[in-house]
Amino acid sequence: MQLEAMDRELMCSGHVGCPGCGATIAMRFALKTLGEKTIMVLPACCWSVIAGPFPQSSLKIPVIHTAFETGGATASGVRAALDMRGDEETTVVVWAGDGGTFDIGFQALSGAVERNENFIYICYDNEAYMNTGIQRSSSTPYGAWTTTTSGSDWKKLRKKNIVEALVAHRIPYAATANIAYPEDLVRKVRKARETKGSRFLHIYASCPTGWRIPAEMSVRIARMAVQTNIFPLYEVENGIDYTINVKPREYLVREYFKLQGRFRHLSEEDLDQIQGMVNEDWERLLRKAGERA
Amino acid sequence: METPTALQNVLYMPRTFATTESNKTGAWRFLRPRYEEKTSPCGAACPAGEDIARIEMLITQGAFKEAWETILMENPLPGVCGRVCYHPCEGRCNRREFDAAVAIHSLERFLADAAARNETKPALPRQPAAGRRIAIIGAGPAGLSAAWFLNILGYETDIFEAMPAAGGMTRWGIPAYRLPEAALSAEIARIEAQGVRIHTGETVTAARFEEMRKSYDALFLGCGHWRGLSLDIPGATGVGVEEGLSFLRDIRGGVRRDIPGVSAVIGGGNTAIDVARTIIRRGGRAIIVYRRRREDMPAFAEETRSAQEEGVELRELLAPVRIDAAAGGCVLTLQPMTVVGQDQDGRGKIVPAAAAPVRIAAQRVFTAAGAGTAAPWHEPPASGASGAVLALSHCVLLQDDRGAPVVYGGDLAARDKNVTQAIASGKQAALALDVLFRHGVGSVRERLASCVVGHGPALSLEIYLGGPRRERNAHIVTYEEINADYFQYEPRLVQPRLLIEERHSSFDEIELKISAHTAMREAGRCFHCGICNNCDNCYLFCPDVAILRARDMTDRHIDYDYCKGCGLCVVECPRNAMTLEEETP
Ligand SMILES: Cc1ncc(C[n+]2csc(CCOP(=O)(O)OP(=O)(O)O)c2C)c(N)n1
Ligand code: SF4
Ligand SMILES: [Mg+2]
Repeated sequence: MQLEAMDRELMCSGHVGCPGCGATIAMRFALKTLGEKTIMVLPACCWSVIAGPFPQSSLKIPVIHTAFETGGATASGVRAALDMRGDEETTVVVWAGDGGTFDIGFQALSGAVERNENFIYICYDNEAYMNTGIQRSSSTPYGAWTTTTSGSDWKKLRKKNIVEALVAHRIPYAATANIAYPEDLVRKVRKARETKGSRFLHIYASCPTGWRIPAEMSVRIARMAVQTNIFPLYEVENGIDYTINVKPREYLVREYFKLQGRFRHLSEEDLDQIQGMVNEDWERLLRKAGERA
Repeated sequence: METPTALQNVLYMPRTFATTESNKTGAWRFLRPRYEEKTSPCGAACPAGEDIARIEMLITQGAFKEAWETILMENPLPGVCGRVCYHPCEGRCNRREFDAAVAIHSLERFLADAAARNETKPALPRQPAAGRRIAIIGAGPAGLSAAWFLNILGYETDIFEAMPAAGGMTRWGIPAYRLPEAALSAEIARIEAQGVRIHTGETVTAARFEEMRKSYDALFLGCGHWRGLSLDIPGATGVGVEEGLSFLRDIRGGVRRDIPGVSAVIGGGNTAIDVARTIIRRGGRAIIVYRRRREDMPAFAEETRSAQEEGVELRELLAPVRIDAAAGGCVLTLQPMTVVGQDQDGRGKIVPAAAAPVRIAAQRVFTAAGAGTAAPWHEPPASGASGAVLALSHCVLLQDDRGAPVVYGGDLAARDKNVTQAIASGKQAALALDVLFRHGVGSVRERLASCVVGHGPALSLEIYLGGPRRERNAHIVTYEEINADYFQYEPRLVQPRLLIEERHSSFDEIELKISAHTAMREAGRCFHCGICNNCDNCYLFCPDVAILRARDMTDRHIDYDYCKGCGLCVVECPRNAMTLEEETP
């Protein structure tokens, strides 16, 4: 794989992310593309810890640690301050987990993008509140075990479709990306950086610790999420124009589920039902992208 | 109240001033990844031990000369083998389980043709002069191979060839539509340019051989199986019956021309097929009769298929009983056979069927029933003969008090008799002699065993000379160990071939040239099993920024100060060029 700019390294070794952490891979790719002229707003999440305890930082760019629910609001303020100083070059990026995006931070995010604030909001999605011990979020998928959906009470609600929620705000650019597809991810970060107004990236980032998967499988499972249509790679411009970016091999969803401890309790019938949901969502996406009548 | 000016300019915000690099997270590790190249199944299946995975990788990069030189390190005759080798490599290619095997032989031929066209001179590492002279009897593939490797190892080599031109069976036994003269001559010219002396038209008699044992430091006897064996049936030496090998030699020598009418060819090996296809090109009809079934024929399946395409008739399960002269030719009497169970070698066991004999009238009958040595002294000595006899897989080495050591090789000693096995034999002989001179005969077996490809028996000169290939694990990469997610389905190249009609009248080569573009695309299908092609996945996916790269991006190291041992790099390596092991405390 030849990726220009991939030689740039703005993340340091020695951080305390778990072995095989997908969120750190996502950050590496994003920073390689964003470059030094970036200010990152970091609401509470695993990355608050990975970024290092004072006085250390694992990132070679300015980072503002902020409260869990305030990503959108803080970024709006940072942008305003930079604008007052005449700095148009620096990109403001929110880097938040799914909890901080889908749940508690949603109000601040929705408010900011409704105003079309000029920043990139990146949600790295590990499908639960991992930093505090694997509690379910509205991003946790149907069927998953978490510490708050344990035993027979595994989650029986669907994952919130966050990109559609953002698309409903008609923002200039919204896209999904995945750590197993660096070229696509890098292209989307670059495209987001070159767009003005509110931009939203939803990056799939596997979590070996919270998903009960072997560390070395983290990228393979991420790839599988795309190939099974569980996490399609697509982008939406101006809330209207849909493009599907990767043509999947359409493996059966069981192939994805059977690799992960968090889905171990699911029966064959449950998997059939989930396959039905995935097919339905995929058909819907194909129609939006104009690939189905 | 007024704020002091000093305070007005101070930002009350804690600011970090150190990186996390002081945390040596490598201490967390209990699994340890490392770079470790492994053996590709194709390379392990190649009798000449070619480094196929690497050759294809170099082609992908457009480094045709380096790819060609990589072949030449293990095989002096890529232009010949790219055409006539039965390519066992393709039969073991991991890509078969994905879509279809890589067309390895087409790529080998492409490299040889490109080098010949551009008159490329290979840059090979010649060892310092050893100060010894070796005589080689027979300029066939075994002799050429022995001379080539001995030359690289620093020996002076003289080849003595009875025929007027070098090449042995490749020149006189293989028809031009499979191996054009120019392709063969280009290879021989390169071998000579490298310093090998070839003396053609020089027959070595038993007496001269004994003389040479006094004047040279070692001898390689690779004069092949030239005497076609005749059938042991009435009429087998009668009028109208010819021997296949000498017929092919006459055709290549331009002595024979038209072969009109019907000819029967007895046999199931490559010679039978070559004779039949030659007859078709000389205006005749050919019927092959074989006593076993088609699937039991020792001929390469692809050759049999081509023969049938061209109109050769194949009649199986017919054993020859007698040949009688008749008006306008002869009559061949055959006993129908039937299969009952299996032979030891897995072929169908045949017994006469309860059926009346079959008669075939033909203008002439060709026999292709195998070949033997031309003189009894060509036979390798059996162990227990006087002197020390060392029987290796492809050679027999004799040391006695009559003079310099002798290696019997090629068809004289190989179990499977074909071009590539002959090349393997020449290489084995060269390495064995080098070990013998340097460390004594007692070390030969052990030293040869240390330079096999995978689990052998193929030997590698590069490994023998301690090149980078030596570092590879002998483990043969399986398809399950390939990360197939990184590969796209891509059809195998379609080999352009002469039309059937064009083949009837000419000895032009059937398989046509492929373009550089096609070659690069085909090589791009190769998984490069077990070897690093600098794809950089390990570097890209490392969550801990623990892969260090050399400035030119070709060399990588793992920074064990920080590597947490997640193992991602090993799983994401598409081709199993990395290994994950338990950390030793
Ligand atoms: C208002 C508030 N409530 C709770 C917390 C505790 N807290 C810190 S991180 C976190 C979970 C973050 O989850 P997510 O955004 O998905 O990021 P992840 O840790 O999974 O990477 C929680 C609940 C907090 N910091 N602030
Ligand atoms: S808990 Fe999951 S997301 Fe958090 S550091 Fe560990 S692997 Fe990464
Ligand atoms: Mg989370």
